[in-house]
Amino acid sequence: MEKFELGEDARLLRPIERTGRAFWISAAILLSIVAWGVFAYLSQLRRGLSVTGLNVPVYWGLYITNFVFFIGISHAGTLISAILRLAHAEWRRSITRSAEVITVLVLFFGMGCVILDLGRPDRVLHVLRHGNFTSPLLWDVTSIATYLTASTIYLYLPLIPDIAILRDNFPGRKWLYRTLALGWTGTSRQQRLLDRAIAAMAVIVIPIAISVHTVVSWVFAMTVQPMWHSTIFGPYFVVGAIFSGIAAILIAMAIIRKAYHLEAYLKPVHFNNLGLLLLVMTLLWFYFTFAEFLTTYYGGEPSHMVIFLSKTQGRFSPLFWTMIVTCFVVPFAMLANNRTRGTVWGTVTAAVSVQIGMWLERFLIVVPSLSNPRLPLTAATYTPSWVEWSLMAAFVAAFIFLYAVFTKLFPIVSIWEIHEGRERSLEEVSARVQSYLPAPAGVEHE
Amino acid sequence: MPRWGMVIDLDRCTACQACVVACQVENNVAPAGPELAERGRAISWLRLVPFQGGEHGTRPELRLVPLPCMHCERPPCTRVCPVKATLIDREGLVAQVYPRCIGCRYCTTACPYTVRHFNWDRPQWPRPMEDSLSPDVSVRPNGVVEKCTFCHHRLQRARDQARAEGRPLREGDYVPACVQTCPAEAMVFGDLDDPRSAVARLSQGPRAFRLLEELGTRPKVVYLSKGEWGGEV
Amino acid sequence: MERSASVSRRRFLGFAVGAAAGTAVGVPAGRVLGDFLRATELPVYPPRGPESFVLSVCGLCPGGCGLRVRRIGERVVKVDGNPLHPVNGGRLCPRGQAALQSLYHPDRLAGPLRRVGPRGTLRSFERVSWDRALGEIAARLTPLREKGRPESLVLLRNGARRVGSRLAQRFVAAFGSPNDVTLDRGEVSTSLALQLGQGLLATPAYDVSSADYVLSLGGALLEAWSSPVHASRAYGHFRQGRTGRRGKLVQVEPRLSITAASADQWIAVRPGTEGVFGLGVAAVIVAEGLYDREFVAEHTAGLEDAAGARGEPRRGLHALLERDYSLERVAEETGVSANVILRVARELAAAQRSVAVGPRRGPLLPGSLHGHLAAQTLNALLGSVDSPGGVLVAEEAPLAPWPELPEDAVARRGRGRPRLDGAGSGDFPSLPSDPERLAEAILSGSPYPVEALMILEADPVFASFAPDRFAAALERIPLVVSFATLPDDTALCADWILPESHFLEQWELHTTPPGVPYPVVSLSQPTLARPLHDVRPVSEIFLELARRTGPEVAAAFPWKDVQSLLEAEMEGLYEQKRGAIMGTAFDEALARMMEGAGWWVPGYRSAEELWTKSRETGGWWDPFYDHGDWKRVLKTRSGRFEFRADVLERRPRTAVAGGREQPKPDALALVLFEPLALAGGTGAELPFLQGILDPGEEERWETWADIHTETAASLGIADRDRVTVSSPHGAISVRARVGLRVVPGVVAIPVGQGKRAGGRWAAGIGANPLRLVSGERELFSGLPDPGATRVHVSKATGREPGGPADRRS
Ligand code: SF4
Ligand code: SF4
Ligand code: SF4
Ligand code: SF4
Ligand code: SF4
Repeated sequence: MEKFELGEDARLLRPIERTGRAFWISAAILLSIVAWGVFAYLSQLRRGLSVTGLNVPVYWGLYITNFVFFIGISHAGTLISAILRLAHAEWRRSITRSAEVITVLVLFFGMGCVILDLGRPDRVLHVLRHGNFTSPLLWDVTSIATYLTASTIYLYLPLIPDIAILRDNFPGRKWLYRTLALGWTGTSRQQRLLDRAIAAMAVIVIPIAISVHTVVSWVFAMTVQPMWHSTIFGPYFVVGAIFSGIAAILIAMAIIRKAYHLEAYLKPVHFNNLGLLLLVMTLLWFYFTFAEFLTTYYGGEPSHMVIFLSKTQGRFSPLFWTMIVTCFVVPFAMLANNRTRGTVWGTVTAAVSVQIGMWLERFLIVVPSLSNPRLPLTAATYTPSWVEWSLMAAFVAAFIFLYAVFTKLFPIVSIWEIHEGRERSLEEVSARVQSYLPAPAGVEHE
Repeated sequence: MPRWGMVIDLDRCTACQACVVACQVENNVAPAGPELAERGRAISWLRLVPFQGGEHGTRPELRLVPLPCMHCERPPCTRVCPVKATLIDREGLVAQVYPRCIGCRYCTTACPYTVRHFNWDRPQWPRPMEDSLSPDVSVRPNGVVEKCTFCHHRLQRARDQARAEGRPLREGDYVPACVQTCPAEAMVFGDLDDPRSAVARLSQGPRAFRLLEELGTRPKVVYLSKGEWGGEV
Repeated sequence: MERSASVSRRRFLGFAVGAAAGTAVGVPAGRVLGDFLRATELPVYPPRGPESFVLSVCGLCPGGCGLRVRRIGERVVKVDGNPLHPVNGGRLCPRGQAALQSLYHPDRLAGPLRRVGPRGTLRSFERVSWDRALGEIAARLTPLREKGRPESLVLLRNGARRVGSRLAQRFVAAFGSPNDVTLDRGEVSTSLALQLGQGLLATPAYDVSSADYVLSLGGALLEAWSSPVHASRAYGHFRQGRTGRRGKLVQVEPRLSITAASADQWIAVRPGTEGVFGLGVAAVIVAEGLYDREFVAEHTAGLEDAAGARGEPRRGLHALLERDYSLERVAEETGVSANVILRVARELAAAQRSVAVGPRRGPLLPGSLHGHLAAQTLNALLGSVDSPGGVLVAEEAPLAPWPELPEDAVARRGRGRPRLDGAGSGDFPSLPSDPERLAEAILSGSPYPVEALMILEADPVFASFAPDRFAAALERIPLVVSFATLPDDTALCADWILPESHFLEQWELHTTPPGVPYPVVSLSQPTLARPLHDVRPVSEIFLELARRTGPEVAAAFPWKDVQSLLEAEMEGLYEQKRGAIMGTAFDEALARMMEGAGWWVPGYRSAEELWTKSRETGGWWDPFYDHGDWKRVLKTRSGRFEFRADVLERRPRTAVAGGREQPKPDALALVLFEPLALAGGTGAELPFLQGILDPGEEERWETWADIHTETAASLGIADRDRVTVSSPHGAISVRARVGLRVVPGVVAIPVGQGKRAGGRWAAGIGANPLRLVSGERELFSGLPDPGATRVHVSKATGREPGGPADRRS
């Protein structure tokens, strides 16, 4: 087969060709934060978890909050992209890649949070040696590992044709791309196989993704602790995960668009469409939150009410009401309005707000239930220590850094899929639309 | 196999906390100092929890309840441990395997009685205090969870003794440190399944109740009190 | 190309920085990993060697519990109760359980110390040999006798009933000084009341275990009581030990103490009015004729008006109660409704065996004589004197008496001089000791100056009612010798510290602890082959000092060593041919039954056997109590129990202050108490005891003050606020606990924290409320009356950074 004609899409390779000052400055800043985090972790290793703000009975804090949060974000890519692919949503073509990368990278950090939280990280392999399958934590390990594998494959498959393009365009890095391209030449057999594999993965990945956050919720729901032991926690967490995942994609898209001048590929319509999805999730999230709190309130069980009140009126109420505003009021206002939703800044404001709110939601699930034990022990307050905040910052920085590195090695917008869209989709879509409509008189259906 | 259980008679208990200190000494719990205590990290396998009543009137009521691990028959803690570092052992005691524990603290969050403790710091015994440590109980390193074991090392010792004397284990052979020292004789220990044992008799009496039994944990620590109690909890 | 060149330079720089950062991180990372791995190792080395058990006696309070000490090789790894010991029956209180922390305390004094620098810090001391220390001290003491001024030697000690303490007393007497002063006053008012009513010099024991109804007039029955474990066991039995009989406890005091919380009813009275409440109850009992007529008629005097010895009219109790303790007046003064007083009186009288318990607060704090007399009055009215479930008095333990002091003119003349503390004379003739007055006498140098002070188990610079006066007084004395094992506040002001060995390191003989109704002699054995440090038993120190102070003093100590002294005392015990070796409950029942029938089954056939068996069982006791032996327990001139209307007429000041006028919010009544963990002002040194100060609260290493919600509101104080409590004598900073645990108008503070020294866990932790106490005295008894102190409480200015308040909701 002849060399792939890049045409106007050549600009998608520009981030890989050229690296400007801005990148190096950002990388230096991000790496400094990471180095600071390494220092923080070294001090945690040396002095144990005493360097955290945790205590009795608040045994879990920022690390577990971040674990839930990061795993939630991971629903950005693979799940959204799979759904959009299966739905043949044509506008997906320029955004799937950037979404899928989020998933793969953020999963590592989610798992990393659990390691940070261990009193004995040196014994982490005991989970394999002595695994206890009645523990939801082990379900987590299993399901996240599966999800990570599936997501990596799902990211990789659509990357193959693009890697082949890179192989042909960057002789200097052939050592990397030749191996990864797996000898892709773009024959129709290869293409057919790839299409089939992607479609299969898209189907497989959806239940896995849903299982991941369901199982994360079960870490809490399988205990008898008040405001954890809830049957709707599975779906509630999944909804929250997709919610924050979409918000993450929107933020990533906005940054890529700006940094690499890809306005032509990431258009307001993409933001608008994802914004609509985010609006749906806003409403769903509010529905679940409302259901959860109303059930608790009506049940009025004293041990549950203590926590309910500490969230709505007590010690945690500033965080709680900030969460309601950032998770519901702000995104609803921005997204229900066509004029703001149609703009990049409008959807991105909503997305940033959702991200803050969802982090607070995770914190408000983990900490208040632990702060108010059932028996009348002295209630304790938990204030995260500098080590915990530093590690959180370092994880975020490392994530952004690796994401940026990815954009320097691979096209962040799928070149061949854009190409394919341009070549084939118009006919395909019009055929599809035709098929939905009643046949013109006299024409028989096959 | 016996079903080891403890009865704590709140009508007798004087809240003296001899049990608390006896447990710390017996089980090599390192003393906390002002800093650890201040940060809510002092370790005590047995604590007194205050149940307050009558605050609305002019006279408060204060009941202090000694709280060891309940050694639940359906313990929420063992189920969630990812590595079987806490488990129900052959004697029915909820045991803790320190060398296996990864310090995830899932069990501590799952226990509704909040009786589990995490070693946030490395335990410290300034010289020559470590000379008083018991050889029967391992010292826990930094980063693992610990809790009341019903002094299971005393059970092992009692079993060895009985075997050496060629006789079965008798009531009173196996007595945890807290029970042994209780000045008001408020604590009793024994086999809940042995109809002749004091614990079996007392735990079936009209004053008996268990803490948070509505959670289905089936605690093997039984409290006695003349008043209405279960409802207050 | 310029641009790419700059990029590649930057790239190179990047690599260099990266490499540097890698090294910078890598090296400490290696160290951290090492630390981490070390943190995972067991930091201790288990003891090796055979297991053995030694019987001993706890020395952490006057309670006298028997110990069974577990040893592995040469280490002591656990202390438990001696199951055969009658006082504690194998049980121990938290203090006893923490005994190993005092034995292995890292700050124990390792040998004799001589002060070479300013007072108040351990850095001013240098180690010397025992030989030099004893030699130099003896060389300073001998001239006092030579100059004919032996009375200028003073002994200040606590009230322990052990050989070491008795030898110290004998040393001072043989030396020729009348100044043997005790600092602990927990038992004084109890004993005074007994002396007034029954003419006995002893400490009474309440037979709680056999009672059905206990009315405690502020007695700390379940806290730092006379013999805490003995009392707890009795209480457990009283509550649930008898099928079908559950004793009822009613606690009268202004604070929801542990005893009040455990009681069936807490009657919250105004501070200092416990005795008034008791007499109000007595008035109802008399008025309604509910008293034990037979006992009152046959064995008491003074209920009705009568003529005195010289024919003068003497008011009887009945008239006094009618005049001063009418229901209305008592209700008004105590703040308790008349119904409650009536009900308690009727319940008390109706119960089969009821007993009233006086306001004994702990080893350190004096109760009030008024309160004890009220309790005693009730007990006589109820016929609960020397009856089962009533007030008992233990017989003396019949140890071989020591030989009379040898004739020595210098000593006789010295002992004839007035005591420096004026005890036993003047305004308060019945006061056995008055340490605060001793401090004043030292400071004024009158009636004569003090040349030497020996301080045994006492810490007056911390635990007296005039800590600062004592600190000043010590500076006036040329020779101050302390026997402290840990550097306490007083020891740091001494010239010499001769650290005595720990009680687990020495031989001792303890006689009947206070509050125990039968004679007990417990043998305490060393649990280690040799002491951990270069320290000596205090008994040996005094034997040696006597030897070095000249032949006249030495003659008073005819024993070769301590062990032969103990054996000699036990021989006397053998010759009495009564009592029994400690044993099981079965042995006890048998001995009691046989002795009741006039037989003696001792379990030993010779003095040697008594000695060896004492080492195996813990000692000797006599379980038989002969109830109603009136000749022994009613030693008044009339041979009857005497109601003392003459004394009761003098109403306590505090009762009036707390009762008549509502205390103003800016002048609150001070209520002090001794938590069990800090009984006698000791315990803060041991971290396990600091950890349990306040049952039900999380570990708190600070002093708190209980204030009633209303009082706090009027002062603008919120729960957990740091407050300053001040009196004309001093000010302390404590944490407020606002709630309903005290009556309004009161601030209740525990005693035992706020030491300047005492080792790493005591020094600088908490505050010492004794510094607030004013010098007021209770009428008649002359005991210090800390409850008369009025204090101001205000929110402390400035918030301490990172105080525990920040951790609470
Ligand atoms: S030792 Fe006994 S009496 Fe004391 S607190 Fe414990 S259970 Fe209660
Ligand atoms: S009390 Fe808690 S730690 Fe003990 S067995 Fe029950 S759940 Fe587990
Ligand atoms: S902390 Fe240890 S015992 Fe607890 S769940 Fe985790 S591994 Fe198991
Ligand atoms: S049974 Fe043993 S381990 Fe448990 S509280 Fe009592 S002394 Fe401690
Ligand atoms: S009551 Fe006194 S003697 Fe007995 S164990 Fe406690 S401190 Fe020791």
